[in-house]
Amino acid sequence: MSELVTKELHVCMGLNSCKNAGYSGNNDCAGQGDCSTAVGHPCHTLNACKGQGGCGIFGTTEELCHPGENDCRYQGSCGVPILSSRFMAQGPNKGLSVWQLARIRFEEKRIKNGESFGEAPQQYGPSDEYVNSIRGTSGVDYSSCGQSGSRSCSYISNPAERKIAAAERVLKMEEESAKKLPESLSNCQPKNNGH
Amino acid sequence: MKTKKLFNFSTSVTKENIKEVMQQAIALELATIPTYLSTYYSINRAQDQDKLYAKLHAQLSQSGERTAAKIDELAQELKLDILVYSNKSAALIMSVVIEEMLHLALACNVKQAVCQTAPDLLGIGKVLTFPTQLDGHIPEFQINAAKLSLKQLTTFLQIESPEPFKDPYANEQLLNTVEYQTIGRLYEMIIKCIKEDFPGPYNYRPQLLPPENPNRPRPYYSQNSMNTVHYDREHNPQFANADDSGGLVGVHDAQSAIDAIERIIDQGEGKSKYKQHTLIWGENKMPVPMDIVEGKVVFWEGDYDDSGKEPAHFAKFLEAYTLGGHYQQKFRNIQGLDDFFSYFVYDTDANPKTADYIASGNQALALCSQLGNAVFAYILLMIEACYHKDESTQYDLFIFGIHKSMIWLLSGVGNQINQYTYTKGNQAYKGALTFEPFSFEQSFLRPKAQIMSLVDQLAKADPVNWGWAIKSENYFPSLPDVGLDYSIEADIPKVPGTPYRHNH
Repeated sequence: MSELVTKELHVCMGLNSCKNAGYSGNNDCAGQGDCSTAVGHPCHTLNACKGQGGCGIFGTTEELCHPGENDCRYQGSCGVPILSSRFMAQGPNKGLSVWQLARIRFEEKRIKNGESFGEAPQQYGPSDEYVNSIRGTSGVDYSSCGQSGSRSCSYISNPAERKIAAAERVLKMEEESAKKLPESLSNCQPKNNGH
Repeated sequence: MKTKKLFNFSTSVTKENIKEVMQQAIALELATIPTYLSTYYSINRAQDQDKLYAKLHAQLSQSGERTAAKIDELAQELKLDILVYSNKSAALIMSVVIEEMLHLALACNVKQAVCQTAPDLLGIGKVLTFPTQLDGHIPEFQINAAKLSLKQLTTFLQIESPEPFKDPYANEQLLNTVEYQTIGRLYEMIIKCIKEDFPGPYNYRPQLLPPENPNRPRPYYSQNSMNTVHYDREHNPQFANADDSGGLVGVHDAQSAIDAIERIIDQGEGKSKYKQHTLIWGENKMPVPMDIVEGKVVFWEGDYDDSGKEPAHFAKFLEAYTLGGHYQQKFRNIQGLDDFFSYFVYDTDANPKTADYIASGNQALALCSQLGNAVFAYILLMIEACYHKDESTQYDLFIFGIHKSMIWLLSGVGNQINQYTYTKGNQAYKGALTFEPFSFEQSFLRPKAQIMSLVDQLAKADPVNWGWAIKSENYFPSLPDVGLDYSIEADIPKVPGTPYRHNH
């Protein structure tokens, strides 16, 4: 049977609905999965299924307000997994974390349905290093599409210092995003399916 | 090289000729897109910073005049100059391309509503070749599909000029150029005609509309993407387009037609009632740059569009021109360095032709070029088809077809083709998109089948770099299948959650 039928497909860490539905299949409950199970795709319009679009890099304001909530194949806004460093390139939440918006929407949906969920393995979503470690890869760039350069980088010459500076900058964005999360949510219209 | 005229320009806009003039306006907007894209694809905007540093370090070390610490410091500074400028100039150009796509749609909406005639984009695409010119613009000036340079940015400034300008080489021309015009002046004539002769309301015909009505399908226009993002010297993200810089406008009467046209003028040239930069020629017959203070250009109030947040196209290009000239001079003053632009611009020929690629014997390059031309023509076909379809089908065409084609398929070819080299005369060049007309009528196959045939041939000619294209279902194979008669074969994925019907 196809993997698409047997597995719950979701776009990132902490966005799974069921026990053992994270990438590694060893999470205790909803919201504790370690990484995406969606069929890997790099970006906008290239996703295989409903609910598999990541978000943030290409797409309309409405798409970027609803990460992983696409109705259909090829409608996804952006690639998966959604790294903690990814920010939105369009709309009222421009420059703020995509993963945190995806996670809060996930939590809202669970609460609305009276369903429980656990804490995500990492507070602000997965880093590139974390995804590499989970997937048993080394040095693979999971940051997805876009030609403007890595979002978790800096221009410092010394590679060690470069990494530290980049991590500090990403953390600053993550903390600012967390602070602005209620505002980010209120900036977004409810999902419009043409109804 | 002689340019080919698309139109015979009229000196006035009347109710008798407005249909032709609107088609001319659409051609002006359309012609800018491949012009700017050809330059965009010539930029390596995210190169390996360590390799670049090593190259600069080696060049600075040759003279033996500097200490190791000074060489390190200077190499780092110059590396940043290159990385930040290349990324920024590319983002600025892409931000303009996106808005030119919007302007194309706005001009098409006006023609569809005011003239009650659908736009003919494929007709323009069939005759648009490079070098070209803005027909009717006085003075005419040559527009090349060419790599990034100060000369190319000068051409961009001429296209977007907010004020009439004098050709610095006018005394070398034989033309009786008694007056000078801008694209804005052409639109002002159109506005005057609409006010006088076309008050509306206009009969309904399909247009590309904004998502104002919640009962409508979802929006498909977006001002920004990651390709309009660039990073400052501290690697903080910067966004080239403002979200509230204005999107699509539905045209149903004279006022909405004027609103649509004014949006084009405003985003392109800026608001002229305030002090703004204009195209002024210096003694070297090149544009006079903006002032630079602490590494940043100084904008004036009138350089922005009416949102007040986003510089208009002219100001964006003047910024890229100003900083490019600044860094070029800086690099010239340091012994041992190459030309500034050579560090990040692919060495492509101006106005390349597929025939050059065929003559060089590089089959994959020639096929790549043909594929790029076919995809560009297909984008025009899909946009044109939108003006014959209901809104739900327009949405599908945009998301599944036009977005995918612009972001992945055309960009995929545009960013890959420069990996090929060829020789013309005694000069070696990198490959580039040629933006030559591609006629789907040349075959009995449907346009998508023709594209897939080219993909198949390219995958066989260069399986290492293009083998994926025929196998990866989510790229070329998943394009919607649109015929020249605007018929759509039912292979657009159906959207289960949407209640609207797909009336193909």
